[in-house]
Amino acid sequence: MPLAFVLSNAAQLAWTEWHALWSARIPRLLLNTLVLASWVAVGTMVVGVSTAWLVARREFRGRSVAIWLMVLPLAVPTYVFANIYTSLSASVHGMAGAVFVLTLASFPYVFLLARAALDGQSRSLEDAARSSGCPPLERFTRVTLPLLRPALAAAVAIVVLHTVADFGAVSLLRVQTFTLAIYHQMSGRFDYQGAAGLSLVLIVLTLTLLILERFFRRKQRYYARAAAPPRRQPARGAELVVIWSVLGSVALFALAVPLGWMFVWTAEALANGAVGPAFWGYTRNTFAAATLAAIAALVLALPVALYHARRRSAASATALQLASVGFVLPGPVVALGVLVAVIAVAGPLYGTLFVLVAALTIRFLPLSVQAEEAALQQITPSVLQAGRSLGAGPIESLRRLVLPMMRGGLTAAFVFVFIDALKELPATLLLRPVGFDTLAVRIWVESSEEMLELAAPAALMLVVASLPAIWLILRAGQPTRG
Amino acid sequence: MRIIIITLMKRLILLAVILFAVAAAWAIAQERTLTPAEPLVIYTGRSDQFVRPLAERFTAQSGIPVTLHAGSATELLNKLRVEGARTSADLYLSNDAGTLQIGEDEGLFAQLPLLLTQTVPANYRGRDNTWVGLSARARVLVVNTSADGVDALDSVFDIADPKWAGKLGVTTSANESFVAGLSVYQALLGHDRAERWLRGLRENAGREVYAKHGAIVADVAAGRRTVGLVNHYYIFRHLNQHPDAPIRVIVPDQGDDQIGVAWNVAGIAISRHARNKEAAEAFVAFVLSDEGQRMFADANAEYPTRAGVAADERLPDPDAIKVADLSLAELAARRDAAIELIDKVGMP
Repeated sequence: MPLAFVLSNAAQLAWTEWHALWSARIPRLLLNTLVLASWVAVGTMVVGVSTAWLVARREFRGRSVAIWLMVLPLAVPTYVFANIYTSLSASVHGMAGAVFVLTLASFPYVFLLARAALDGQSRSLEDAARSSGCPPLERFTRVTLPLLRPALAAAVAIVVLHTVADFGAVSLLRVQTFTLAIYHQMSGRFDYQGAAGLSLVLIVLTLTLLILERFFRRKQRYYARAAAPPRRQPARGAELVVIWSVLGSVALFALAVPLGWMFVWTAEALANGAVGPAFWGYTRNTFAAATLAAIAALVLALPVALYHARRRSAASATALQLASVGFVLPGPVVALGVLVAVIAVAGPLYGTLFVLVAALTIRFLPLSVQAEEAALQQITPSVLQAGRSLGAGPIESLRRLVLPMMRGGLTAAFVFVFIDALKELPATLLLRPVGFDTLAVRIWVESSEEMLELAAPAALMLVVASLPAIWLILRAGQPTRG
Repeated sequence: MRIIIITLMKRLILLAVILFAVAAAWAIAQERTLTPAEPLVIYTGRSDQFVRPLAERFTAQSGIPVTLHAGSATELLNKLRVEGARTSADLYLSNDAGTLQIGEDEGLFAQLPLLLTQTVPANYRGRDNTWVGLSARARVLVVNTSADGVDALDSVFDIADPKWAGKLGVTTSANESFVAGLSVYQALLGHDRAERWLRGLRENAGREVYAKHGAIVADVAAGRRTVGLVNHYYIFRHLNQHPDAPIRVIVPDQGDDQIGVAWNVAGIAISRHARNKEAAEAFVAFVLSDEGQRMFADANAEYPTRAGVAADERLPDPDAIKVADLSLAELAARRDAAIELIDKVGMP
């Protein structure tokens, strides 16, 4: 639906208008978007991989706490990060500020996937390298890192998609990316065709990146599960100090500062009696929308992922890329596309929660597809063949073999969509039923009048609401023993 | 293997379709049961906490419940346009005359009864009388009272002078008030003058533009900046919390040969497809009443637009202020030019 909206509007663009867009705006937007995405990718890789390696390869006091500290920033929306940091310091602005904020907000994706992969690596490979006299650094670059490549490629894809589609942080820090330009074109100048033209360029750009990512991990399918989970060396003395100063400084900027800010202002709000029944209504609305969207995305992603994981044809890859379009398009465009489509073909549904849930599902479907496909890739085909030779029909093999084996992937699919849907702003703003305010909407409304402090309870509630989801994913990420 | 997958997929798709059908049916059923007493629906681009006390008072007086649907003014206007006859909005409220006039030009609003709006000066209303301004704000300078040289400041064009380099606070040019102000200057003084001004502003602000007006006022009060370009109410918001802050308002461009202060209004319109036009008109009448005007303006230390309603007494006397001579209905038409200028100069 959103894609059709973009195409039909872009088709109305005359050649001269295209030309004007190309020469006047696109080169700069392209440069900004790519620079931002590259820096954030590099930043999240450095922070994510180093922290993941520390908790996966070293044993130290407070390791499990550290894991939580590295994942929790997922619950803080980029616009909250940006709002807090811009109000704390005037030096957070522009490109550097956006890289800083988006790195803090999205390194947990890299951390999660890198850690899961590190935990799943077999001990024997590193041991073999060690016994053949390979020095530690080389062991990391020549054995550990290459084995991490599929996980890192997936993580970077998620980070780049988030960065390119981000609206909250770039609009506050005013970095002219495609998403922001499209939003201004549409919302400020009421120029849908120009916006659609820009969207089309953005889609092509992002699909290129996604295809590159697939290309890089094309031949990298590791079916083997770790026979023996890797060893964690106990850390002591100076090493312990280093570990905690790295993890501590990351946690300080990514978690302690925003959380501290939220606690201070929530205390103030509680003292003023600002947390009333209305607030609990926002919380309930947020939960309802995010849960429904996460379930819908989980179910809808299954056929796509199954199809691609087993068939691996051009058609299946196309289906996969098409499913990604929702994420590649900026939120406001998805929202407007859904709005137009629903009004045209399903009028009576308009204004109901269903429309919002549908838009959220479309937007975040790629996350669940990605997670489920990654899980399917790890299922050795011989298991299914064995099941079939023992007389299991398709439904039975799905129920008894495939689904149980991809439980971790299903959990990840649910959690990623749930957390993103909790925080989602542009589509929610446009498509929610009248008067149906979510926590994210409240944060936006208060900050639009420069009264973000009033929204501290809502921001804190988002973090609290994410806790069960994060617990689920951390539990699923643990290596299965025995 | 292939057959397994294909059968699986068919069943999964069927399952998904059924799930969605159930969800859709449930959603429709919910909507049907959710409409007991038709509330008046207001799309508000003005923060709903400024509007809520007013809405509650209206409900108490008239017995008509009000639902506030908050969002960004431009986005809500987009929504109104795309929704067409399907809209549930009865009223549209915006903080910016420019978006209201675009709504009028797009034919999204219904005529307002002249009897209702004639108490408001004509340049605070739409050309076809489909929207009416409710409260006004001024684009002013805030200065630190203990800094040197600020007494000589009497025009927004002074702040482009190189002597304020590093001492000036302005918001990013993405800010709607910034764009509206620039539109006024460009309309009255011409393209070249506006461009020179903007270039000077860019030099003086350096790369450190602010995301928020409130931060500019706070930094001027703390002495980190000497002068800032802001909407007047941010200064009073700061003074509410810090009554002793060393800051002062300068209402710029008041001389005989100067253009007057740039002005913008928040206003209201009735949706063309309003289901509840009578109640909507009753609401407009209420916000234009003495009580409604004061509540609406005082919520944010703004000036009531209706002649004869007194403003908050801490504000500079509105009768003594010379306002830039540009009908607010013109703002919308000037907006694109202002944005193009911003892009050309590369104002951060």
